[in-house]
Amino acid sequence: MMRDEISGADILLGDVHRLEDVVSHDSITRVAKSFFGLFGLPIRVISGEGDLLADVHRDQPLCSYLNTSNDGAAKCGATVATVRDLEPKSDAIVHPCFSGAVYRVVPLDYQRRRIGRFIMGPYVPSSSNGPPATLLSVAGDVDPTRLRDHYMQMPRVRADIADQLCEHLKGVIELLVFSGHRALLASTMQVASARENYRELAEKNEALQESYEELKQLDKLKSTFLATVSHELRTPLTSIIGYAEMLESGAAGVLNDGQTEYLQTIRGKADELLGLVSSLLDLGRLEAENLELEKEAVDPRSLLAGVASTIVPFANRRGVTLEVSVADTTPRVWGDPIRLRQIVVNLADNAVKFTEAGGTVTLAARPSELEVSGPSGLGASLFADTRPAVVLEVRDTGIGIAEDQVAHVFDAFYQVDGGTTRSHGGAGLGLSIVKQLVDGHEGTIEVTSKLGEGTLVSVTLPAADDDG
Amino acid sequence: MQVDFAAKELTLKLVYYGPALSGKTTNLRAIHWLGTSKACGELMTLETKNDRTLFFDMLPITVDSESDLKVRFKLFTVPGQVMHDATRRLVLQAADGVAFIADSQRSEADANRESFLNLKRNLEESGMDPRRMPIIIQFNKRDLADVRSDEELAALASKSREPIYRAVATRGFGVMQTLIGLIRESWNNLEEQHHLEERFGLEPTRFIHEVEANFRHRSRRTGG
Repeated sequence: MMRDEISGADILLGDVHRLEDVVSHDSITRVAKSFFGLFGLPIRVISGEGDLLADVHRDQPLCSYLNTSNDGAAKCGATVATVRDLEPKSDAIVHPCFSGAVYRVVPLDYQRRRIGRFIMGPYVPSSSNGPPATLLSVAGDVDPTRLRDHYMQMPRVRADIADQLCEHLKGVIELLVFSGHRALLASTMQVASARENYRELAEKNEALQESYEELKQLDKLKSTFLATVSHELRTPLTSIIGYAEMLESGAAGVLNDGQTEYLQTIRGKADELLGLVSSLLDLGRLEAENLELEKEAVDPRSLLAGVASTIVPFANRRGVTLEVSVADTTPRVWGDPIRLRQIVVNLADNAVKFTEAGGTVTLAARPSELEVSGPSGLGASLFADTRPAVVLEVRDTGIGIAEDQVAHVFDAFYQVDGGTTRSHGGAGLGLSIVKQLVDGHEGTIEVTSKLGEGTLVSVTLPAADDDG
Repeated sequence: MQVDFAAKELTLKLVYYGPALSGKTTNLRAIHWLGTSKACGELMTLETKNDRTLFFDMLPITVDSESDLKVRFKLFTVPGQVMHDATRRLVLQAADGVAFIADSQRSEADANRESFLNLKRNLEESGMDPRRMPIIIQFNKRDLADVRSDEELAALASKSREPIYRAVATRGFGVMQTLIGLIRESWNNLEEQHHLEERFGLEPTRFIHEVEANFRHRSRRTGG
């Protein structure tokens, strides 16, 4: 029996104590049968504890005949019992039978431990000159001539050949034990390794889950903080702008040119700051999932025309041509008109900002389809469905975005290139907000760009049902 | 260590550790080849088709001592590849001594260090104190180009807590010295902890001589 269980302190020090723990009865029997088939010599394999594991023999006519007499049967029985109980120390024992035949009892060892033995025989040594007196003197109704005939039919083996045969069989069985032990250790180790890997992974997963929960908490805290701070900043800013406007309008007396210019600068910068604070507030709300959308059917023509009229002065100042193109069949968009406008204004403003003089920015709308996601992977084609949608496109002929940067343009505060962003202004919040707003509308946004050639941003949004 | 009082047997577990391809299995093969058949059992290897150790190799060695006690050493190798860390930990459990097989090539210095740290960590994780574990270091592959020089190794040995051995395992050089060294360190440690001399009448120095005698004739012939 293996001394240690898998869960024990050491799974590898376990030894083979019993032959049958690592080799099946069936395997041993097959080996014995094959041996018997080849050499006609009976084989019995006995475990260390005395159990018969394999018994392959054919009754010899001599033995059968002897068993017909009481004396012969008793003598046969006694010999067989003695042979079965023989335990050789280190070398094989050759045990004589009263019939003149012999049995060989051979020890089976593994890693210098006794694990069993086998018995080869009975057979007659080829050096024998004929039946011994002990056989011919068996009492009872036995015919000496028949005894002699049967004796001559017994298998005969030379002593040195018997030695070699036993060595061979011993080697085969011990090799079977070795292979069995090897397989047993390998499978035990496999199970133990899998268990150890599982334990390790489970520990790591738990630690990861904990830090994930912690990060989620921190993220929530950040969003709340962002929303609160932005809100608190907006109140004094509104006052600053209000008072600057009042001063500018002459409410506190007529201003000279210098004062008016300074006030305009204050107002311009305050407006910029208000825009930034509003964006932060939006982002905070969006991340805290507090954004409420009031959806209705929105006409893409008036949406794009409205945006164009807002952006045109800025485009003109930069010498950028602004074009609007809406395909005839474009359905209405299902969305919050204020947020949709915010999406397109942000994108259009960005496009103009990053396009040099002489370039063109195009705002376009066309019908499309939006995939309603089913389970991904296997059979996705069966589950996926589409619904009518509208693609709003903002295309520019500007500086473009490098391929490896495209994936990051939606990250909050991300600047493709610090230098560029600074020269063009902005805090890198616009696209992040756009992404959140598009997500809020269950739409998709995609950016394709080529450095030096321009950028195309496509926003796909669900169409209003009545236009589908 | 396992003690079987009924069979008068003492079994020690010795583990060959080290980075991938440093020659752990080659050490065991060489011991199997150099050792007498009386002492060495069959070498059991569990490897993948490209000769990389999958779980471990195992070589049983049995020494009959004067005191009528049978002492068995089970030599194990661990898989060196990084991904088999769980298996390494399992093989290391209940080890009585560790032979760390390092690759002498300068290019392998980092791999040696990493594997040694891994050994230390795995001992700790298995609840064993690395400072109390008998460890010896073998610098293998002395026949290759660009290896640390003998002078460098001698300088390292003078500073090292662990005894250092040099070897060319592919040719059998130094493997027996390493094994005897490992047995000596492990035995002395067990003597301190379990008072083997008192319990079994095995005097450490004499026992080590007995172990050496078990391998002597063929070791001499190959000069290893």
